[in-house]
Amino acid sequence: MARFKHNARRNKKWGSAKPPVLKKQPPSVDHVTGSKIPKSFVFARGKLPGPLKQLELDLRKMMLPYTALKLKEKKRNTLKDFLNVAGPMGVTHFLILSNPKSVPHLRVARTPQGPTLTFEIHEYALAADIARSQSRPRCPQDLFKNSPLIVLSGFGAGGQHLKHLELMTIMFQNIFPTIDINTVKLASCQRIVLLNYNSEEKLIDFRHYSVRLQPVGVSRRIRKLVQNHQVPDLRNLQDVSDFVTKAGYGSESEPDEEAATVSLASDLDRVNRASTKSAVRLQEIGPRMSLRLVKIEEGLCSGGVIFTEFGKGDGEANTAEGEED
Amino acid sequence: MQADPNPMKRKRKPIKSKNPKKKKTTTKPSGAMAAVAEAKRRKPSKRMLKLFKKRAQNYHSDSDDDDEEEVVEEGRRGEATPSDGNDEDGSADSERGGGSEGDDEGDGEGGHRGGITRFDEGCRAFRVAFSKIMKRKLPNDALGPMLSAHKKLVVEKLVEEEAEHKAKGEAKKEKILALEKGHVKLANFLDAKEKSLIKIATKGVVRLFNEVSKAQISQRGLNPSRTKVAKELAKQRKRTFSPELKKSSTQGHGDHLPFNSSKLSNSVEKENDDELGWAPLRDSYMLTSSKLKDWDKMPDPAASVGQDVFPMESSSSDEE
Repeated sequence: MARFKHNARRNKKWGSAKPPVLKKQPPSVDHVTGSKIPKSFVFARGKLPGPLKQLELDLRKMMLPYTALKLKEKKRNTLKDFLNVAGPMGVTHFLILSNPKSVPHLRVARTPQGPTLTFEIHEYALAADIARSQSRPRCPQDLFKNSPLIVLSGFGAGGQHLKHLELMTIMFQNIFPTIDINTVKLASCQRIVLLNYNSEEKLIDFRHYSVRLQPVGVSRRIRKLVQNHQVPDLRNLQDVSDFVTKAGYGSESEPDEEAATVSLASDLDRVNRASTKSAVRLQEIGPRMSLRLVKIEEGLCSGGVIFTEFGKGDGEANTAEGEED
Repeated sequence: MQADPNPMKRKRKPIKSKNPKKKKTTTKPSGAMAAVAEAKRRKPSKRMLKLFKKRAQNYHSDSDDDDEEEVVEEGRRGEATPSDGNDEDGSADSERGGGSEGDDEGDGEGGHRGGITRFDEGCRAFRVAFSKIMKRKLPNDALGPMLSAHKKLVVEKLVEEEAEHKAKGEAKKEKILALEKGHVKLANFLDAKEKSLIKIATKGVVRLFNEVSKAQISQRGLNPSRTKVAKELAKQRKRTFSPELKKSSTQGHGDHLPFNSSKLSNSVEKENDDELGWAPLRDSYMLTSSKLKDWDKMPDPAASVGQDVFPMESSSSDEE
């Protein structure tokens, strides 16, 4: 299978039937925990309208670095093609976007024969929309170098252990690689994916944040000075001590002090030093979705249906899927 | 018709009736009108002749719209000439207009000759039309000043066009709406719900970081005393790796478990049991419970789940 190691761009001619491969091979087994690193493919089935294509790209970006960012799919690629490529490359999960009957759906499936969760995307917002609506969108250089952490909330609410909720939990946890808290570097945890289950509406809120640590107790000016290395404007001040000790007004987005502060294990960068209090500030990046679980199937988009939201009304929908396989 | 050496240059002169065929109007024509009439009599320049020739050839192709062409031409001319006080422009326009009208009226003779010989009738007709227009009072109509008598036709056409546009526009709008279904444009970014979600996420991160700091700091402190730590570490590694040997992929339980008992306070674990609403982080507590340990064997739990709670629907294939 050496030919799969070519650069994606060179595969134009003969690779038209199969999706091209990753440029470099990330490790397949995490050297720390010894567990296999899950990799994913994000692709679309069927023709997607404009915003949904953007959503697909956003999802791919979110799943970095363990995904194929420039995965190209053709119309005649079926699911089997992806499966065939997934095997040798160690891809464990598929995220499939589709738009049947103009309702966008997201399917999360585990290869090679794992269960498939089908979600209906109730509403979504693109990363570009979010960046536009923020006053200071933030995207540091190596934000996507490490995989995100996942935070699940509300899945065990009410004490009832519903099977489908558990399955969802496990599935989502498995999509992202695990971390070992003894050796993890705090600097590498830069992204958070939040999945919040709302049991009244049965909607899952999906959010994607970037983490920023700000030292607490340092006045804003000094912090900016240290961070930006910009010489401050001392025109109106008599003395440097004025600059240092002047009580500035707190910003509106000042976080809740107690709840958000951590004391760091190690030095993160110039400003955040070990064993000093820092505040955790999250800023939203990436797509925002609210999903509703529609169906769980045993196989990879096939097999018996374990759970349906709507009861037995999905009979006609099943036949259309059969063609894709 | 004499060739005027400089047809473009016009002076305001009273009209000398060079042409006996022309009827003399009772009212003395105004300056613009005089200039126009004068222009008609002059032989057009060579450039103009070529232009007329070309137009004649063009106009012969569509004889259906002759009527409307004329109408529109007249209307255009009528608007053009009173609007510009400049003689030159007016005359140039009228010349062109006159020439084209002349071509329209000349049926088969596509030459400039035909255009020239018809000039007089064309001029007369033009003069009559123009004076009528000037006499008429313009109604303040929604459609703008309509100078032609074929009002209804034009109105109908406009109405048709509008209706067409509307239908098309609506169809387009519907299409776009269908495409954008579900795509929410963010109106207000930070409302209460978002803030609560951010708080939840922040709490999770804070917990994680605290755990990390506890584990790592305590580990640092312990490194000197190796023996105890080494044994514990070995124990953990075994525990984490032995389940993995069975399965394809598994959760790294982290080196968490033994630390739970010894290092971390029990309160954390209890707290976790109480807060079932808090679902697990990465190195999560939930997976340590035995019933969930075997989740990675996908077919089995799926089968067991199927038998337990949900009726197995043997549907052929899946949704689209």
